[in-house]
Amino acid sequence: MREEKLGKLLNELADRTAETVRPDLAEDIKHHIPHRFMPRRGGMDAVNIIIDLRISKLAAAAVIIITMILCANFLGGQDSTNGGIYQNSKMLVKYLLGGEGFGRSNVLVVRTRYEYLVQKGKDVAYYGDSIDPEDSNAVLMQWKLSDGKYRVIFGDLREKTINAEELIKLQTQMLRKKTK
Amino acid sequence: MNESLEKRQDWLAAELKAGNRAAAAELVDLYYEQIYLFMRRLGHSCQVSEDLTQESFLAAWQDIGQLKNGRALNSWLYRIAGNVSKVCWRRHKDSKQLSIEGIDVPDNNETEWGKVGHLEQLGQLRNGVATLPIKLRETIVLHYMQHLTIAEAAEAAGVRQGTFKSRLNRALKALRKQVISEDGEPS
Repeated sequence: MREEKLGKLLNELADRTAETVRPDLAEDIKHHIPHRFMPRRGGMDAVNIIIDLRISKLAAAAVIIITMILCANFLGGQDSTNGGIYQNSKMLVKYLLGGEGFGRSNVLVVRTRYEYLVQKGKDVAYYGDSIDPEDSNAVLMQWKLSDGKYRVIFGDLREKTINAEELIKLQTQMLRKKTK
Repeated sequence: MNESLEKRQDWLAAELKAGNRAAAAELVDLYYEQIYLFMRRLGHSCQVSEDLTQESFLAAWQDIGQLKNGRALNSWLYRIAGNVSKVCWRRHKDSKQLSIEGIDVPDNNETEWGKVGHLEQLGQLRNGVATLPIKLRETIVLHYMQHLTIAEAAEAAGVRQGTFKSRLNRALKALRKQVISEDGEPS
């Protein structure tokens, strides 16, 4: 039998055997359309995964993921967090590859810590989007403590408790650098 | 595929990627019958086919970000459905593949169908398709029964067009052996 004839027979078989589909099936499927019907966004998801992995056990995997994020940023990929992913990734790479200078608690991505503090209703300010990442003395994040002092995280992830006067000094320095 | 349908699909793909729920509902309306029949023709039972159709759409919504521009929406959806079907076969290795005879072929209207020989040929073909290995069966179903072009079907099967044509030839060769021509001679 020639291919053409066989093809026609197969077409006919398909037409003859097409059964009626339960009409409710479409509605059943539609009920499962997610309410937040959004495509996956790679960047922040990857960072969140790294956080969920608790880093140390899967450091190697995290490095691979972070490297991919960094590559995406350097190659012109858009970052919907205004550089947040870049900053966070850089800090994580520093920790994973740099070793001792970075305490585990500091390594929890600063932005995530910021979000956590905001959720807890703390008076917190995050400057990660505007500071120079190379400036180790720049204030990355600050929040007010219950005793009226301020807890500050610097660009190199140092943490320090300071009073209001010291904070004003630091902020003034930052503003001066920014205006230069 | 005609031009207006192609444009409609492009629009739908763009809306889906933008997170439009109405577009998701339209995708279901457009394809749920096709995907269901695809599952049935791959050998799944009615109930399983319904479940797998639903699973295919869920997977599609989850992976909508991976739909590349210029890629045919139907091929992309068939590819997801094909993968869902394969996962199901793997999960239930011992379950029996149904032939398309699960879908009834009318056998009492010879006047409409013409000769008895023709009916017999269809029956043999139906059984032949059912005994094909999964990959070859998928090839036949995509191209001849779901009416996808070679390019679309190859994309849906996740292979190059050359590979798809080669599989198609092997499948047709296997089917030819099983179908007796109308004059009673093996094809």
